[in-house]
Amino acid sequence: MGKRILVVDDAMFMRATVKKILEQAGYEVVGEAENGEVAVKNYAALKPDAVLMDITMPVMDGVSAAKAILQSDPQAVVLMCTAIGQQSMVIEAIQAGVKDYIVKPFQPDRVIEGISKALAA
Amino acid sequence: MRVEFVNPFITAAFTVFESVTGHKPERGQLALRNTTFTTQQVTIVAGVSGQVSGTALYGMSIVTAEKVAGAMMQSDTTTLDEMAWSALSELGNMITGNAVTLLSNNGYEADISPPSVIRGKDVEVSTRTPAIVVPITTPYGLVEINVALEENALAKAA
Repeated sequence: MGKRILVVDDAMFMRATVKKILEQAGYEVVGEAENGEVAVKNYAALKPDAVLMDITMPVMDGVSAAKAILQSDPQAVVLMCTAIGQQSMVIEAIQAGVKDYIVKPFQPDRVIEGISKALAA
Repeated sequence: MRVEFVNPFITAAFTVFESVTGHKPERGQLALRNTTFTTQQVTIVAGVSGQVSGTALYGMSIVTAEKVAGAMMQSDTTTLDEMAWSALSELGNMITGNAVTLLSNNGYEADISPPSVIRGKDVEVSTRTPAIVVPITTPYGLVEINVALEENALAKAA
């Protein structure tokens, strides 16, 4: 059984795209969330091995959700996957404990590389 | 509205289109639009806030929207269902997000809001500042990038 991943993005299209990439690489997508608030709840319920998290989302953004998850579980493996790549945002996410920062649009290999390295660390 | 705010959107649109569809678009001539104008058949709207703020709108025909969504979904035929609308919204998110990153590299920190998609031609849209329009020609048809941004008054004072 592959490692269990939670995919968080407000765009149904991106969740489906990322899910397909992960499943083709042998990972199991155990859950999805369309905003940060649902992501925090789903993380607590599902305890995935890693979270792939968008930033720009309604209700609760991805950086706030990552901080909440890492506060409740400092060992959580969270990667950001977002269209915004400015330095200040990357620094804030890394300082919060995020393991990697993938900028959209991405090639499928970049997602798999990020997940596999973060889980191996 | 400063032209330097538009170039990041053109660069981002080229990068995103080429990445998600595999085809490099061609750029048309810049034009200025009033603060009130009407939409094309499909318009993706994304808000920008921070040291620059305003709206970016990406307009196209239904046929172009179907083809662009189809290319993103790697499908030859696409009807505009919920997944296709989501793909178009994500296109706007990626272009605007990449543009805001480039603006940040130029010293203007900003953030974006989740995009919305308007379906319906001749819907009247008002922006705070006149929009600069850049048409780009893609293999799927014409896409109009409308950028209506202004430097934030607080940023000016800083």
